[in-house]
Amino acid sequence: MPVLAVEGVRKSFGGVTAVNDVSFALQTGRIYGLIGPNGSGKTTLFNCITGLERCDAGRIVFKGERIDHLKPHQVANRGIGRTFQVIRVFPELTALENLLVVTRGARADAERRGRELLAFVKLEGLAGEYAGNLSYGQQKLVEFVRVLMTDPALILLDEPAAGVNRTLLNDLLGAVARLRDEGRTILLVEHDMKVVMGLCEIVFVLDHGEKIAEGPPGLIQADERVIEAYFGR
Amino acid sequence: MNARRGWFLGALSLSVVVALAIYPAFGTGYGVRSTLQIFMWIALAGSWNLISGLTGYVSFGHVAFFGIGAYAGAILVTSAGWSWPTAALAGGVAAVLLALLIGYPCLRLKGPYFAIAMLGLNEVVRALVSYFEGLTGGGNGLSLPTADVTRSIYYVMGLLAVVIIAGTYLIITSRFGLRLMTIREDEVAAEAMGIDTFHHKLAAFLLSAVGPGVAGALTARDQGYIEPISVFPLAVTVTMIVMVLFGGKGTVWGPVLGAVALFVIQELVWAHYPYVHPLLFGAIIVAVVLLMPRGVLGLLQLKYHLPRTI
Repeated sequence: MPVLAVEGVRKSFGGVTAVNDVSFALQTGRIYGLIGPNGSGKTTLFNCITGLERCDAGRIVFKGERIDHLKPHQVANRGIGRTFQVIRVFPELTALENLLVVTRGARADAERRGRELLAFVKLEGLAGEYAGNLSYGQQKLVEFVRVLMTDPALILLDEPAAGVNRTLLNDLLGAVARLRDEGRTILLVEHDMKVVMGLCEIVFVLDHGEKIAEGPPGLIQADERVIEAYFGR
Repeated sequence: MNARRGWFLGALSLSVVVALAIYPAFGTGYGVRSTLQIFMWIALAGSWNLISGLTGYVSFGHVAFFGIGAYAGAILVTSAGWSWPTAALAGGVAAVLLALLIGYPCLRLKGPYFAIAMLGLNEVVRALVSYFEGLTGGGNGLSLPTADVTRSIYYVMGLLAVVIIAGTYLIITSRFGLRLMTIREDEVAAEAMGIDTFHHKLAAFLLSAVGPGVAGALTARDQGYIEPISVFPLAVTVTMIVMVLFGGKGTVWGPVLGAVALFVIQELVWAHYPYVHPLLFGAIIVAVVLLMPRGVLGLLQLKYHLPRTI
């Protein structure tokens, strides 16, 4: 059984069909990529999966349960975590507090786990700093480990590589691979083809809201329709 | 915080509490009444801070809870013969029930729409109170049986202020409080991180109604006479807001500082310049918003990296 099944999802805004009859399935413990030109519907699809947008048609099934009618926090609490294309840390909370807010149970345990994760991305020295005072890359890391605090089975990353320097990027990508090794499933939207090709096992390609290709990165790169979508005929 | 500083602050708060506790024994009538008013403003500003300072949902109708508490308390004292302390608790309960009734639809609205809805709510409640003359006396108001209880109310209002300060401290240092702040910081991200923002807002809103409800009932008893225009004035909401903005929203002591400072300023201005009093008060508000939008403590907090518990 796939961990996530997206079946015939459709979403329009006024006269614009942002996502049109898209279907795919994610198997546990793999890294998937979602690519496509700007405006092809990638982020809208993320928003449908995480409950920020309600689909007009279709079903989204997570671990055997339909989640397309749930509120965002209910989706999150079932085990789907995400980051955003534009960083969304809580600026007037400290780095550590950004991680604490998503936890329940004993506070001391949560703090220990939070400090571990901050150390994991080498930010332990900035635990007490307001997130808004951190650099762009540091905020990106805080957002990334904040997702991990909720221990999600499925992680959606919206452009994790954008605006991140090479060293930091390698750390991030290493972390993503480790998450996969722990048995989590990852779906990432990314424009950096090197990242997609190096990390993802299966890539889905969207164009004008429709899925035009699916397969291993090597095959996708040679796919006629994909080349056409990106470069025109 | 180191132990010595803790001891110092503990000793300081204790002396303030003791001084305020023995003050009515030798204070003038005016002094006691003014201090009682300051307690009331601390309770009101502190309560407004819980919903608006923490979640960023600006309530422009908070005086509705004060008014409903005043009427609930006054009616129970006059018609049902309740003692005023019990009626004061009932005033708090009435305010919470009103908050529940309006929180359900209104807290689904985002930011500015919520502010406008709350502004309308206060007018609706005031109109309803005027309309149900049989119960409320309508525009003629409601007189309570005479009783000289100002000194007792002084203590109860002081206790209310202390409870709200302590409650704010507990909330701000808890993960519940941090979650309320995530709503102010980025509600969409909070939802996506699994925080049930609606029920968090609702909880904060209910908590923020208790203080004004109790304070309203206590004020009704103390003044002995209430009417719709005296307990539902928009100016009371505006004053609460200004006090919190002046002191520092989202902090423990900001509303207290704002309540004390603005009350004293208002009294001085009023005493010396009775005709231009609103003008000067308005100028102070504009200056605060322009020069330190985060308030006194908010400014210090950012500059010296202090915790929100200041």
